[in-house]
Amino acid sequence: MDMKETDKRTMTLNLTAREMAVLEDLAAKKDLSKTGVMKLALRLLQAADSKVQLGHKLMMEDEKTKEKTELVIL
Amino acid sequence: MMTSNVYLQESSSGSYVLAKLYDEVSDKHLAMWNATWKPALEIHCKGRALVDSPEDYHWDWKWKANAWRPLLKYHFYSIMCRGELQGLMLANDTTTARLPEQAGKPLVYIEFVATAPWNRAEVQRPPRYRGVGSAFMAKAVQLSNEMGYSGRIGLHSLPEAERFYRDSCGMTAVQRDPGFLQQLMYFEMSEKQAETFCQKPRKS
Repeated sequence: MDMKETDKRTMTLNLTAREMAVLEDLAAKKDLSKTGVMKLALRLLQAADSKVQLGHKLMMEDEKTKEKTELVIL
Repeated sequence: MMTSNVYLQESSSGSYVLAKLYDEVSDKHLAMWNATWKPALEIHCKGRALVDSPEDYHWDWKWKANAWRPLLKYHFYSIMCRGELQGLMLANDTTTARLPEQAGKPLVYIEFVATAPWNRAEVQRPPRYRGVGSAFMAKAVQLSNEMGYSGRIGLHSLPEAERFYRDSCGMTAVQRDPGFLQQLMYFEMSEKQAETFCQKPRKS
């Protein structure tokens, strides 16, 4: 299927009140629309998943203590 | 495939020439890179020490494109003029700003940007065309606006390009980044700087 960047698809997203509150909070923090946050989340998840598929681990590092914690991606 | 018109300045005549900026790097562009751009750099670098070679000498655009094209966060761009490849850029839309006034907000990060060897004064005098870098920077700001990032962009500059980003693009030199082997300078363009950059007179 030929998919162009200009082809747009619409979907309805049902969120719980808590999920919507988090989405609104992130949108405010990131200075993005709620759609923008969802699109950013999709890009990040795809990027993380592509690394996990290659056998990489997704780690977060505390800048001060250098302590590392692993993020689990399903 | 999306294209837009840009104008490059032909150094020999000073006149502006119509070029096309593509919102992709196609297999055709990669074949041109392999057939013309890469050999031109190799000829230029033959017999030179690595330290005297162009800083992007080792960039393998074919590898980059094949590895990263499937990911939504990457955006590839190319510029063609008179049937020849003139520039390539790869941007990433999931990076976060560092300038205090916009820290934590997303921006478009330019991973790699390069003009063809024949457009560089250190390879050919006079260079064939000027304006590839500015056209790409304007495109990155446009992408940032389309993503809802208000024109915010960032990049790590190779040493020779620092003056261009600081003086021509009006970006802020934030810090030398110890995460890079060469401690490259990280530059960022704020929303206000992006506005100023876009208002600069440019042939269009």
